[in-house]
Amino acid sequence: MASCSCSGRSAAKERLNASMASSAPRTLSNDGVVEAAQAALGDLLVATKDHVGEITLTVRREGVAEVCRLLRDTPGLEYQQLMEIAGVDYPNRPERFEVNYHLLSLTRNRRIRIKVTTDERTPVPTVTTLWPVAGWLEREVFDLYGVTFAGNRDLRRILTDYGFEGHPLRKDFPLTGYVEMRYSEAEKRVVYEPVDLPQDFRAFDFLSTWNGPEYRLPGDEKAEPEAPGGYSPAPATGASPKVESAAGAGKRENNKPYTSDHEDRKTAGVQEAQAEARKPNEAKQAQVGGVKTDLPEPTPDSPNVTRDSGEAQ
Amino acid sequence: MSSDNLVTLPSGEVADDFRQTRRVEVSVLPEAGDRNAGDETIRNYTINFGPQHPAAHGVLRLIMELDGEIVERVDPHVGLLHRGTEKFIEYKTYIQSIPYFDRLDYCSPMCMEHSFVLAIEKLMGLEIPPRAQYIRVLMAELTRIMNHMLNLGSHVMDVGAMTPNLWMFEIREDLMQLYERVSGARMHANYFRPGGVRQDIPPKVLSDIGEFLDNRLKLFEDAISLVADNRIFKQRNVDIAKVAREDAIAWGFSGPMIRAAGIPWDIRKSQPYEVYDQMDFEVPVGTNSDCYDRFMIRVEEVRQSWKIARQCLLEMPAGPTATADQKVFPPTRAEMKTSMEALIHHFKLFTEGFHVPAGEVYVATESPKGEFGVYLVADGTNKPYRCKIRPTAFSHLQAMDFMMKGHMLADATAVLGAMDIVFGECDR
Repeated sequence: MASCSCSGRSAAKERLNASMASSAPRTLSNDGVVEAAQAALGDLLVATKDHVGEITLTVRREGVAEVCRLLRDTPGLEYQQLMEIAGVDYPNRPERFEVNYHLLSLTRNRRIRIKVTTDERTPVPTVTTLWPVAGWLEREVFDLYGVTFAGNRDLRRILTDYGFEGHPLRKDFPLTGYVEMRYSEAEKRVVYEPVDLPQDFRAFDFLSTWNGPEYRLPGDEKAEPEAPGGYSPAPATGASPKVESAAGAGKRENNKPYTSDHEDRKTAGVQEAQAEARKPNEAKQAQVGGVKTDLPEPTPDSPNVTRDSGEAQ
Repeated sequence: MSSDNLVTLPSGEVADDFRQTRRVEVSVLPEAGDRNAGDETIRNYTINFGPQHPAAHGVLRLIMELDGEIVERVDPHVGLLHRGTEKFIEYKTYIQSIPYFDRLDYCSPMCMEHSFVLAIEKLMGLEIPPRAQYIRVLMAELTRIMNHMLNLGSHVMDVGAMTPNLWMFEIREDLMQLYERVSGARMHANYFRPGGVRQDIPPKVLSDIGEFLDNRLKLFEDAISLVADNRIFKQRNVDIAKVAREDAIAWGFSGPMIRAAGIPWDIRKSQPYEVYDQMDFEVPVGTNSDCYDRFMIRVEEVRQSWKIARQCLLEMPAGPTATADQKVFPPTRAEMKTSMEALIHHFKLFTEGFHVPAGEVYVATESPKGEFGVYLVADGTNKPYRCKIRPTAFSHLQAMDFMMKGHMLADATAVLGAMDIVFGECDR
């Protein structure tokens, strides 16, 4: 089970980063760490990697808490601090999410990265039992990626808005999001509306500088060649977009404040936008791979939660 | 939610299956027969501290459960300033991402850039010339002074003193002017670039930095002399929010917070980057691990940063300020006017950008607030695949609950001030 893919470079180096060209922080040498970790972790370890002087241990998901405990408590390893938990999304993989734990040893002056993979429905064991700081870090990964952590008693959203839907750092979540908010002067409160971009979102692909993206602009159909034998310009192949002027706030009357509210924008489309956000992943257009999840969102059983939106008090 | 989730248990508790909670429903006032004359019914109550509160240093919402004036529980709600920086960075080239870092901790912009450019350079194996390293260290230390001026000033203001804040803002203003003369911007500098720094510092500005270092330390010492031994200031800070050494480690503390707990951990010293290993400075360590220690550690750090900045000025070698690799760092304007090669490089760098070899790194530097880390995943293209930012505030703010337990409501501002939290960085 345990396979090692460590690069051969690590053996020859006495002090790890002395030979490193860049001026990034220089930790003590990682010599012997991989061997010590292999001895301590046994078959919990799936793969090891040593790249640019940083050691990555890929471990079995169900054993991650035990791995962390061993790395913290084994003499010689002594990674006392959990500095960071970072999620990464690879939609093409069968287990699309990576969760990376970054540990720091204050006594040995080294860092190490532990990696587990998971999908939308499989929870990762929590490490809050080892480090209380993991509470918020796991909440963040849950919020941004939808990875659940079994045993975390307080798995609320943390960075996104109260009542937010979706997991914004997934690769299939659009950069613009699904809803936007503004203050409605008519309703005297903040309202949420589906995102309305005056101009299409432009995703430039600068990998090929000379071939920019192709946009079909209104009027382009006139430049298309005539149908052979036609005596008049051929009809446009695609219907040109029909632009309707917005209804506006309507006629201003004495009792009506002058606002930029559009009656039809206030409520129209909110349901559609929310339905879009709630769509199962395989139904989303940009989605590639991933596994269908029909489980409900996990309900935090935290003492802090008293309302449905995840808002305390 | 329907009410059929609620079950009243024989013990009088109400079980809510949906929320998996148990609670006892009690009437607000006791029965008339249960009271004696003069009895007061005291209940815990919950208050909202923020999101808009002058002592919250930004948009922090603390939900505090109080027993009288004693804080029982604190539940910090963060994320009110979440701007999706990490998502944006995935859509930008590496150079385009640097300005986002200025806007994280806007009190110490260049230190934020520092971790990111070091992460890129580590992945690319890029060596940068000594002068650029000295300039980076010089600017990082001036940034640390700038950050601490704001933090120390607002901390003393939060606990009731006015004057030192005004004096220290003067120093901060001087530093911002120097910032502007070095980088072109008072705050959002965008000065550290992969491969070096944007441009050299002119000799006149270097000499003005020296003049600043020679003349302004006295103002700082004057300001600190007003509060360091002040009785009221000590009453508000000594023995407030003590954190044991083990707790500081378990809660992932870093920077002045872990040093106040008596752990001599400073990334500049233990994992030196740039030319920090040639710098002569001390790492102050606390003994009591309270808010006063945190304050005094920052005070001493200012003096040490002053020393480092002076040493940088003295020892700064001449030479280029960026790597000569034109596939990474753009050519100068003058070069572009005469060399076709340079023009092509410039065009390619500012449209396509450079490609970073695939791999992942976690690079953490000692920002003024603690360990500021960047976990960068590159897939070999011109954009980061993932850029996770490790804010210093996340672990410190999370510990607020246990640090505040049993303290008075008024101590919240001192604890927050001593944590040094900026929400641009915390919420990202």
